[in-house]
Amino acid sequence: MRNKIQLMLKTSAVFACLLFCSSPSAGRSEDVPGVVSLEGLRAHVQTLEREAALLEEENQGLKNMLRAQENDDIFLVVDTESNRLTMRQNDSLLLTTKVGTGSRQLIKSEAGRKWYFESPMGSLTVLGKERNPVWIRPDWSYVEENMPVPAENDPDRIVRGVLGKYALILGNGYKIHGTKWTELLGTHFTHGCISVGDDDLEKLYHTVKIGTKVYLY
Amino acid sequence: MKAFNKIGVTAGLLCAFLFVGAAGAEEGTEERGKLLEQEGRLTARIESLKQEQDYLLFQKTMYASDSKYLVLHIAARSAQLRYKNRILKDLPLRVVSGRIEALVRGATTLTGKVEDPKERNALVFGSAFLLQGIRPPALRESEPGFVRFALSKKDFSSLFYAVETGSQAYILP
Repeated sequence: MRNKIQLMLKTSAVFACLLFCSSPSAGRSEDVPGVVSLEGLRAHVQTLEREAALLEEENQGLKNMLRAQENDDIFLVVDTESNRLTMRQNDSLLLTTKVGTGSRQLIKSEAGRKWYFESPMGSLTVLGKERNPVWIRPDWSYVEENMPVPAENDPDRIVRGVLGKYALILGNGYKIHGTKWTELLGTHFTHGCISVGDDDLEKLYHTVKIGTKVYLY
Repeated sequence: MKAFNKIGVTAGLLCAFLFVGAAGAEEGTEERGKLLEQEGRLTARIESLKQEQDYLLFQKTMYASDSKYLVLHIAARSAQLRYKNRILKDLPLRVVSGRIEALVRGATTLTGKVEDPKERNALVFGSAFLLQGIRPPALRESEPGFVRFALSKKDFSSLFYAVETGSQAYILP
């Protein structure tokens, strides 16, 4: 009787040992196909944690690098297709207004000279600011009106009051200035300069600094 | 008597073994559950970080480039024409047709500028989507689900001449 009890107990002990050894807490691989061992799972989670940390670090570096290229400077955008000027700062829109841009017309002089009136494109910079700008009539202005072209220094070329109260100089003869043809704002009617209404021009003059970027497209 | 003591000790040990084994199994199941949950969370986080990195790298490239590009915000139904880190124009989008939920997040290229004398121009971005003005472009029917966005006449006209074939666009959800 005692032997029988001992045999049963021994058998049970072996069974219990097997059960214990195969338990997940023992950290051994399970024999169930497709199921990763706890140890393997722990290692995988650690690998994922490392990968996530690395990606976070890399992304932070990229964000810092991109942020370093940003600034809070105001900039102007001129859409020469829809004849709109916008003043922006970061993602904020500070002003949007109708403007006049190049007429895209071609004129020819009798001497065979040609002028195509188109606003400049690309990235320009405000090089200077003027109050009560003076217009020095270029040759095309006389050709356009079938008038004889005077000498280069002829005082007749100096015209006051036609460019409004202010002008922002963009270089190569191009400016952002006022106009007396305010009813044409929003159309292509200029000789390449950007014409703006009086009130908006005043705002631009007082807000924009020399060095402000102007993007024309 | 001695023999019965031995039996008692052995039985006790056996019970202890069984108890530890069962408790261990329970703990293991619990830990496994937690690890699997953590694994799922981390996998999703990694995917999100990879997507974020893809857009950051796109921005890095475009900041160094001299080309204008588009960023589409699908959920907001809007796009931005950008140059380097500057927004040049905000463009509200209207979905004309197609399955916008099928648009894949990421960069795409302007593959075709369709010019039509009857103002039925279009900007085609591969097999992803096209942008058009109010008038639909005279294009042969594309794949089912192909997304068509419409812009206002002026916005589309501005955009059409601002970008070139090869210009980049980035689709954000």
